[in-house]
Amino acid sequence: MEITPEFRSRLITMAKQNKEPDWFIKQRLQALQQVVQLNKPVIQRFKYQNWDLTPLTEFIPLTTAGAFSTDNASPSALNPRLIQFESTTIRVTLPTELLSQGVIVCDLMTALHQYGDLVAKYWGQALKDNSDQLTKYNEALVNNGIFIYVPEEVNSKQVLQLELKSNSKHEQQPFISRVLIVTQANSRLNIMQHQITSGTQVNLANCVVEVVAAENSRVEFTALDEMAAQTLTYLQRQAVVGPNARVNWSIGLFNYGDTVANFNTNLMGQGSSSEAKVVAISAQKQRLGINTGVTNGGQHTEGRIAQRGILLDNSELVFNGIGHILHGASGAKAEQENRVLMMSNQAHGNANPMLLIDENDVVAGHAASVGQVDQQQLYYLMSRGIDEETAKRMVIRGFLGTILSELDNKSVRKQFSETIERKLTNGY
Amino acid sequence: MATLEIKNLHVSVADEEANQPKEILKGVNLLMRTGEIHAIMGPNGTGKSTLSETIMGQPAYQVTQGDILLDGESILEMPVDERARRGLFLAMQYPAEIQGVTNAEFLRAAMNARRTEANQIGVMEFLTTLDHNLALLNMDEAMIERYLNEGFSGGEKKRNEILQLLMIKPAFALLDEIDSGLDIDALQVVSKGVNSLRGDQFGALIITHYQRLLKYIVPDVVHIMMDGRIVKTGGAELAKQLENEGYAGLRDEFNLSVDLMDEN
Repeated sequence: MEITPEFRSRLITMAKQNKEPDWFIKQRLQALQQVVQLNKPVIQRFKYQNWDLTPLTEFIPLTTAGAFSTDNASPSALNPRLIQFESTTIRVTLPTELLSQGVIVCDLMTALHQYGDLVAKYWGQALKDNSDQLTKYNEALVNNGIFIYVPEEVNSKQVLQLELKSNSKHEQQPFISRVLIVTQANSRLNIMQHQITSGTQVNLANCVVEVVAAENSRVEFTALDEMAAQTLTYLQRQAVVGPNARVNWSIGLFNYGDTVANFNTNLMGQGSSSEAKVVAISAQKQRLGINTGVTNGGQHTEGRIAQRGILLDNSELVFNGIGHILHGASGAKAEQENRVLMMSNQAHGNANPMLLIDENDVVAGHAASVGQVDQQQLYYLMSRGIDEETAKRMVIRGFLGTILSELDNKSVRKQFSETIERKLTNGY
Repeated sequence: MATLEIKNLHVSVADEEANQPKEILKGVNLLMRTGEIHAIMGPNGTGKSTLSETIMGQPAYQVTQGDILLDGESILEMPVDERARRGLFLAMQYPAEIQGVTNAEFLRAAMNARRTEANQIGVMEFLTTLDHNLALLNMDEAMIERYLNEGFSGGEKKRNEILQLLMIKPAFALLDEIDSGLDIDALQVVSKGVNSLRGDQFGALIITHYQRLLKYIVPDVVHIMMDGRIVKTGGAELAKQLENEGYAGLRDEFNLSVDLMDEN
């Protein structure tokens, strides 16, 4: 793999045409250089070295913000929302109440132009430890993005919905997105990110979310991933969490294509905490490799990981739970539970808990299981007249249930259930 | 009137140690009609549970000879769920625990499985029936929103089996050791539940080791099972005789070469 001079100069030209700030262009070029030097992130027990996740042939520029309408004046009853197609923002709905409190929700291009200093300050903060090829690829060639900023003491109660749709109506339309979320001290943010593909051509998606949560802020991040079978996806969601702040993830990874995912939360501030819940379903010949980690850096930090996966057909699903307690993080807690349920004998599943502990005064625990549908449970349900398909569905729902029932928002829960039902029924 | 007929039933299970099938039922004959309560008594390891599981269709049991007829039609080829929808119900000795599925949705799914798409049970009808049965069984309403059998005590599980029985109202109920592990209160409550179903539309086969339960649910017919066969059939008084004389007495009477694990 090499960077052709043409490719590099095209990147510079387009970025300059877009009036991207100098620091941003410089960073793109630096990252581009690193793409060829670095390796892919390691997903234990999951081989994907031959996946072409870093093509250096096409470059699609960030689109300027001209083509969307803001609906700022709407009454606060409206749900805050941002809809993007490809690199174009189609709609932003932000209640006046939030707008007047200084909340920012906009596409990355607008953010670079209007809030350049803020973006520069926080850009990449949650990704500091991620010197890998795929992160750098995202940084170099990002062509879609969102910036969200919640000032101090602002409580954004309603769920902010982010709808991201990649364009696969043509080939060579990689979807490379970056969502940067900053919550200032004592603020609160509730986000739902929904990612889908439009079109059936083969394409790449590299989607990164970074969350910078300041002291005592709270972020609830829910994600529903539904990229199409022809989309080869790299997902990364990272957070750095300040003192007494909390970042919770509820991730439904229901992509239909091959996917590697790297989720991590850095509990750097004293007393910070996080819970990462991940539900995934693999079907047909799909391959899913998922790292979910929590790093306890500060004292008295608490991290919990709960992962549940269902495997159908000939698919492969690997869950790695990585709990890392750094030296000095006394009083830290790290719990994790990784479980997969095999619905087929041809499927290949793995649930690996990894605890790396460099401090003595801590509490850590893990559980993992790989199992088949319990025949006793099936028999019991069927003995009451429930047909086999429904009974299986109930057992699966039971298996995922503990995670699903913890989703706070009712409509989100419904969306999750429907997606699960669809994927279990059709497999794709 | 519905009938359940067992004809010369031979059943084997895979014996993992010997790596060959082991015959457990060696020719069972039994005829039940709705309106009747039958009891099967017998020492441990004699095939009582095998009989009930085979009638229900548990896949581990292989029928090698004979037949099971429901209203004259063989059910041997029917899967478990179809047998249930045809009117059979097995109250299990060890009900499965299923996390994430509430008792309420399970009950509704079971009741609706017997109904057509157009005729699914309404919320009010469901709740009215449920409240009535909960009261009958002295059960706390909170049990309904709990996950199916998960974390239930032994007694709660048994009550929950009877609650399902009352909600589903099958033609034939097979009650497998429903009395084991129950204190006197729970035993009375469970018996009250079963007795409330007595009538022309309901028949039951009660499997028990002890005569204790039969004081509360008085059977019309009592069968004694030993060594994979029914060796004696009589009225309710047979259970009392058994209590006095024990299985050993019967074994000797019939000249059976049976090892009794519990000589009582």
